[in-house]
Amino acid sequence: METEKKRILVVDDEPSITRLLKLNLEQTNEYVVRAENDSETAVAAAEEFQPDLILLDVMMPGLDGGELASRFEANPKLKSVPIVFLTAAATKSEVYARGGKVGGLRFLAKPVELSEVVACLRQHLGQGTNR
Amino acid sequence: MSTEPATRSKKHEQASLESEQRYKRLLASVTDYVYAVTVEDGRAVSTFHGPGCEAVTGYTSDEFEHDQQLWYRMIREEDRPAVLEQAERILKGQETPPLEHRIIHKDGSVRWIRNTTVPRKDGQGQLVAYDGLVYDITERKQAEERLKSAHAELAANQEALKRTLEELRTANQELKETQLQLIQAARLESVGALAAGVAHEVKNPLQTILMGLDYLVPNFPAGNENIAMVLSDMREAVTRANTIIRGLLQLSAQTDFEMKREDLNASVRRALNLVKAQVIASKVSVVRKLDAHLPPVKMDRGKIEQVFINLLINALQAMSPGGVLTVTTRAGPFGESLNVNEAAFRQFSRGEPVVLAEVQDTGTGIAAVNLPKVFDPFFTTKPVGVGTGLGLSVVKKIVEFHGGGVDIQNAAPGGVVVTLVLRAEPE
Repeated sequence: METEKKRILVVDDEPSITRLLKLNLEQTNEYVVRAENDSETAVAAAEEFQPDLILLDVMMPGLDGGELASRFEANPKLKSVPIVFLTAAATKSEVYARGGKVGGLRFLAKPVELSEVVACLRQHLGQGTNR
Repeated sequence: MSTEPATRSKKHEQASLESEQRYKRLLASVTDYVYAVTVEDGRAVSTFHGPGCEAVTGYTSDEFEHDQQLWYRMIREEDRPAVLEQAERILKGQETPPLEHRIIHKDGSVRWIRNTTVPRKDGQGQLVAYDGLVYDITERKQAEERLKSAHAELAANQEALKRTLEELRTANQELKETQLQLIQAARLESVGALAAGVAHEVKNPLQTILMGLDYLVPNFPAGNENIAMVLSDMREAVTRANTIIRGLLQLSAQTDFEMKREDLNASVRRALNLVKAQVIASKVSVVRKLDAHLPPVKMDRGKIEQVFINLLINALQAMSPGGVLTVTTRAGPFGESLNVNEAAFRQFSRGEPVVLAEVQDTGTGIAAVNLPKVFDPFFTTKPVGVGTGLGLSVVKKIVEFHGGGVDIQNAAPGGVVVTLVLRAEPE
């Protein structure tokens, strides 16, 4: 059933990345994905979509990933939704050396393979309050 | 008139005084005189000194005549043997070159004279007398002396000038090297700054390609080997591009160093463990010569491991199957028991406690012309696609951030040895 699928909000200013993440994740039949390319409208989109997890790009024009995460956390409807950052600023070895977390936050280093994204989602979903 | 005789006497006195003064002036201007020595049976029996002798020696002819030893006593003691030798030679009828020596003037001053002798012989060729001509050469000698000391001074100045020139040359050389290092540092800094920006911009398109591949692979109909091969090549290309980006980011990372007292051997072991798969694939053997009593080193463990991983991978890629990879660590005072190419490690002073690590391979080595360039970003001697040309740049940057140094040389039996030197911490 559609409702059993986990809801993933992908926020990245690169439409090709969000489009392909959506295609790939939905192809697994485990997820429903909403792609959002404008960080300014991402909070409203999240309120409407009610995701189980947010994949969030760090460096975006306008509101960057850090600021957007603060807004999600400040929103009572979204504050318990786990966030995984997608970053092009760190290398995989830097992220893995720190157990996938930098400064207590979950990170995936770009370019990331689908298998890594899925493994990460499986690991964190179901731990919704454990941010 | 009664005044006439008195006037005449005064005039006479006046004339006499003037004559005496003229004589003295004349005497003072005389700088040479002659003497004659009478010889009988090969012996000097008497000497006559011409009137000019007073001007040169202070003694009159009469004084010389009444004191036949006066000429000898007048000679400065240390010059007497030479004068006697000159006299003996002429008495034996031998050639006598002019002799320059010192005398003590009657007024006590030292004078230099040049004594030239000329033999006088009878019809049978027997020596009957000899004449001597004496020149006062004091002024010339003093001038020579002044010239000599001026020469010595000049030579000393020249020596000092030479030393200064040498120091200047060394300073200039050091300045040139520092300038080169600064240029290199500036280049690295600009490459680093550029790298950070480029890395971010390139990673997003790589992400798109990678996600595209992830989508295409399961959606292409199975059985088409060409498509599978193309997709595999594309994935490999993304991996390669990402490796370059990672190198660039490592090169640009300047601040996130976590410095702690660490065991360098532990980092070597971890790095060797991480490249285990490549060691097996390369079919080379590894020799560990790790000093068990290594003092601690203040370092960022992760970064130093990165250094060893880069060096080990370089060494593995340089060797054919059957090669030997040797990793050595040692500790000791710099430049003493630890013998290294000191010019490459100017940051250390002799005797300073350091820790040294060497990674040596048995590959083909590096052409001498390429050795100075190996730390330049993007310089590589590896085939296209094998290396990024950033590995050694990253090594150098990380090691230098630790205040250490790195040197690369061709090893005597073949292959390359990379030497790292880091400051040892007190235990």
